[in-house]
Amino acid sequence: MKIPYGWIRDFVALERSAAEAADRLTNAGIEVGSVTPIAPDLRGVVIGEIEAIERELGESHGHRLVLCRVSAGRERFSVVSGAPNTRAGVRAAFAPPGAVLPGNRQIGIAKIRGVESQGMLCSERELGLGEEHEAGLLTLEAGAPLGRDLVEHLGLDDHVLEIEITPNRPDCLSVVGVARELAALTGARFSYPALELKESDEAVEALARVRIEAPDLCHRFTARVISGVRVAPSPAWMAARLRASGLRPIANVIDITNYVMWELGQPLHAFDWAAVTDHTIVVRRAGDGERIVTLDGQDRTLDGSMLVIADPARAVGIAGVMGGANTEVSTRTTRVLLEAAYFLPASIRRTSAALGLKSDAAYRFERGADLEGLADASARAAQLMAQVAGGVVARGVIDAWPRPRTPVRIGLRMSRIERLIGAAPERGEVRRILDGLGLPARDGGPDLEVEVPSFRRDVAMEDDLVEEVIRVWGYDRIPSVLVDRPTSVVHQPMSLRQERTVRHVLTGAGLLEATTYSFGDPGRSEALRSPVDPEPIALVNPLSQDAALLRAHPLEGLLGAVAVNVRRQQPNVRLFEIGRTYARADGATREPRWVAIALAGARTEPAWYAERAAIDVYDAKGLAELVVSAFGIETRPGAGRLGGFEPDAHGALAAPDGAVVAEFGEVATGVRERFGIELPVYGAAVSLDALAAVPVAPRRYRPLPRFPAVQRDLAFVVEDRALTAGQLEAEIRAAAGPLLRSLAVFDVFRMPDGRRSLAWRLTFQADDRTLTDDEVNRIQDGVARALSARFAVVHRGT
Amino acid sequence: MGSDTMHPRVDAIVREARAAVLAARTAADLEQIRVRFLGRQGALTQLLRSLGTLSPEERPRVGAAANEAKRELEQLLEARQAEAVEAERRAQRERERPDLTLPGRRPPAGAVHPLTRVQDEIVEIFAGLGFSVAEGPEIETDYYNFEALNFPVDHPARDMQDTFFLPGALLLRTHTSPVQIRTMQAERPPVRVICPGRVYRRDADITHSPMFNQVEGLAVDRQTSMADLKATLELFAREMFGARSRIRFRPSFFPFTEPSAEVDVLCFLCGGEGCRVCKQSGWLEILGSGMVHPGVLRNVGYDPEEVIGWAFGMGIERIAMLKYGIDDIRLFFENDVRFLRQFA
Repeated sequence: MKIPYGWIRDFVALERSAAEAADRLTNAGIEVGSVTPIAPDLRGVVIGEIEAIERELGESHGHRLVLCRVSAGRERFSVVSGAPNTRAGVRAAFAPPGAVLPGNRQIGIAKIRGVESQGMLCSERELGLGEEHEAGLLTLEAGAPLGRDLVEHLGLDDHVLEIEITPNRPDCLSVVGVARELAALTGARFSYPALELKESDEAVEALARVRIEAPDLCHRFTARVISGVRVAPSPAWMAARLRASGLRPIANVIDITNYVMWELGQPLHAFDWAAVTDHTIVVRRAGDGERIVTLDGQDRTLDGSMLVIADPARAVGIAGVMGGANTEVSTRTTRVLLEAAYFLPASIRRTSAALGLKSDAAYRFERGADLEGLADASARAAQLMAQVAGGVVARGVIDAWPRPRTPVRIGLRMSRIERLIGAAPERGEVRRILDGLGLPARDGGPDLEVEVPSFRRDVAMEDDLVEEVIRVWGYDRIPSVLVDRPTSVVHQPMSLRQERTVRHVLTGAGLLEATTYSFGDPGRSEALRSPVDPEPIALVNPLSQDAALLRAHPLEGLLGAVAVNVRRQQPNVRLFEIGRTYARADGATREPRWVAIALAGARTEPAWYAERAAIDVYDAKGLAELVVSAFGIETRPGAGRLGGFEPDAHGALAAPDGAVVAEFGEVATGVRERFGIELPVYGAAVSLDALAAVPVAPRRYRPLPRFPAVQRDLAFVVEDRALTAGQLEAEIRAAAGPLLRSLAVFDVFRMPDGRRSLAWRLTFQADDRTLTDDEVNRIQDGVARALSARFAVVHRGT
Repeated sequence: MGSDTMHPRVDAIVREARAAVLAARTAADLEQIRVRFLGRQGALTQLLRSLGTLSPEERPRVGAAANEAKRELEQLLEARQAEAVEAERRAQRERERPDLTLPGRRPPAGAVHPLTRVQDEIVEIFAGLGFSVAEGPEIETDYYNFEALNFPVDHPARDMQDTFFLPGALLLRTHTSPVQIRTMQAERPPVRVICPGRVYRRDADITHSPMFNQVEGLAVDRQTSMADLKATLELFAREMFGARSRIRFRPSFFPFTEPSAEVDVLCFLCGGEGCRVCKQSGWLEILGSGMVHPGVLRNVGYDPEEVIGWAFGMGIERIAMLKYGIDDIRLFFENDVRFLRQFA
């Protein structure tokens, strides 16, 4: 919210600069985002009067150019103007030669259409005071002193505070609210706007009626009637303040409602009295499908949850949100029905959200207007309508108030302040602070009893008062004292250690950790989905279509990251991510935790010593094994169930009890193409939940062998293409017996005829003796015979 | 081979051998010489073997001279052999001298994500202060994300956290505060937990990501206060941002704390002098904090007259951006390997 500092100073006697005031407010929780001068680049512009139009100069860009005589008091100037509102007798902003306009625009004597123009008559936009330009010159009231500096006259030698008000402080969405804060913070005197309302003899009750049919949504509705108004542009001082506040001046009656809303925080609405059927206001729920054209020209369809301001015939406004076009004040309006009301905040919020219609009024009502203070706002606006628009205010106010407010009194214990904060001001100071904030405190209750006014809806309990006191007293005065506490053992969750182990192992293996969005793209997600997977969870209000789901496959994010890198000429990618997927099953949601690994390109970056081997499925498998074995879990082959892999290059690792803990494989061609990746990608996913569930025996030391080991190599040509290394290994182990200590495939190659050759190194060792060659030879021969007998393999010698 | 007057025949052999040794270039040459003179068919060996053909008077003289010559020749060969081997070894090393300007054979360096680095640092500091880590679901109910935390339904306070909704009255948590509620429901005071995790808000630009990471902390105890909160956060700031770090509390509003404070940390880039990053203010807004609202304590079955709580929260991305000078939050989630490698 923008507020000119000079307006604030109308209500608080403060000598500080705008910047100092802003600092003080910010330190008390009323954050001032910026302090900017209203008219920083305006010099030498004065109030001038167009005394006469001397000559027509023809058209320029569709505008009538005229030469006129401008008086600036003592001096007279010949000035060319193209503004539509250039008329004799008008007082307007005039920049004589020597004046400076925004953008360092120096005004001198110019030749226009061969005619000398001594200076320039200016529009709002040319003066840097607003956006208005088409309407023409910035005009001033008839009595404005000729030759007076415009900046001085309009109070433009001022600063605007841009204030960011937290949702709990609607009272500070007003000039008066901020002034009250500043007074409390500085000890300066606060004065409420003077209300000097002259009323006529005509009773308002004779002119209008109000009926509230939805007292649950409208707690109070007041109406005043102001007759004999002349709708015209607002006086320059008011227009200037509105402009500096970021509001567009329209016409006096409407501007007054905005001016008072800014000043006192209470939204008001002015109806054209003559347009309101029977001059009767009915506050009721809208009918389902009821329609109204609002002031912004939009035709809107309402429903039964929304509150409307109506007359007996039709809706004339959406309560608290926006008025209707059918009763809009216009230049023909002579009598105004002025609304000041209080609506249930939640109802306004729901209506504003449902219609997608935001307004300054709704913003305030949904935060909570001042139920009691609204009468002052009504009187203040009526007063201004009399002063500025020549109106006559009918006697009295129609006040439909079905739900008066019950007084709120809260006890405040000094001991509570001390206990909560660890320090407290003196009791006398506490009282002074509360009084300053408009929260009168008197002795009573446990210590102090505070009467909470209607404009402080946020103060509802003792701790709220503690905050008010400490906020003004100064957060910088809160001491810094660590409380002694007994020492206790802190247990960290298993997941934390798990994640640390994974990071340790995988970064040690040269992988980079990634963090990808939890969102999923429908197309990508579908490509990764296996037929047994449930539908992914869809967001109700996604930010974009490619992030419309929650990801259901552990590799979705990483494959996206691979795609980004490949596209950016970084084809060698070795990434991992620790994260969750999201699923709905049996009416509940689940968030399984995973380590995902994605690999593409070469195993190593090019280097003088490196082989440039391409990554393959064994890299994915090896990394999955590395992770699983870091938890002391031995695995055997299992059956994978994740989608997205090539069926013939998709494997799984199972714990001894058969539970699958990891899957790996080559990402299916169709999937990676869907991600726009042209080279093969390999992936693995280790389930951290499954790992956590595997019982692991505590680590025990095994004595180092005391007798030498004997190594033998065995190689076989495999005739049967379906035969796997795993099957052969199992047979080798079985045939070799307990003296076989380790078994490693050290050579695999495909012969020109397509058959595979596999070679193993077998290590034999006994715990109690040195093995003899004969003994080992016998075992080795036995293994070779067993394999040849059982499978279609040919022993290639040792 | 001191003299050449031992015996003319011995002298001749010795002279010849000495010349040969001097001319020898390699260990192989020396070995040839050894064979020529001292080998089975060698000149000296032959001589010694032929002593029997000499006269009894000549025999001892020639024998002694030949033995002496053999011993001396052996010594000479041995010495020269060692030299030759050493010379050859040196020559070999010279030929195979490594070019140490070539890059080392480096295993690929992995790296943890910068957000992990920052989060680990924060968690470690609080773990050292006796906080345990608590985690919770990212898919939450309105109750845990808002209602229990004192955000009334249809209240503008909810605008502070633009929410992603899911079917079935669920939502993506907008902060990790629901974990605080779940922890308090499960445990009796004293409670000291730190809650890191992913959170979601419907917002995207160069400083806002629809998904980001938070760390929140919560302490509930019989004896604690805002002064304790301040002291704890001061300790944290000094550990995290350096020994000269300072903090400043500013009043603020969060529905679940009362009083609430925005916590600024002395700009660690300019030391408070004022720079571009702190927008000349000397301070960086990094944390939100406050005393747990009595309503929140009551919601979890605690008695606000018996226990007092405080809580704080911070965004990991913001701290990482400040710490590493990163100006676009999206870099964290693109995972360009050239970005990630910078954190190895």
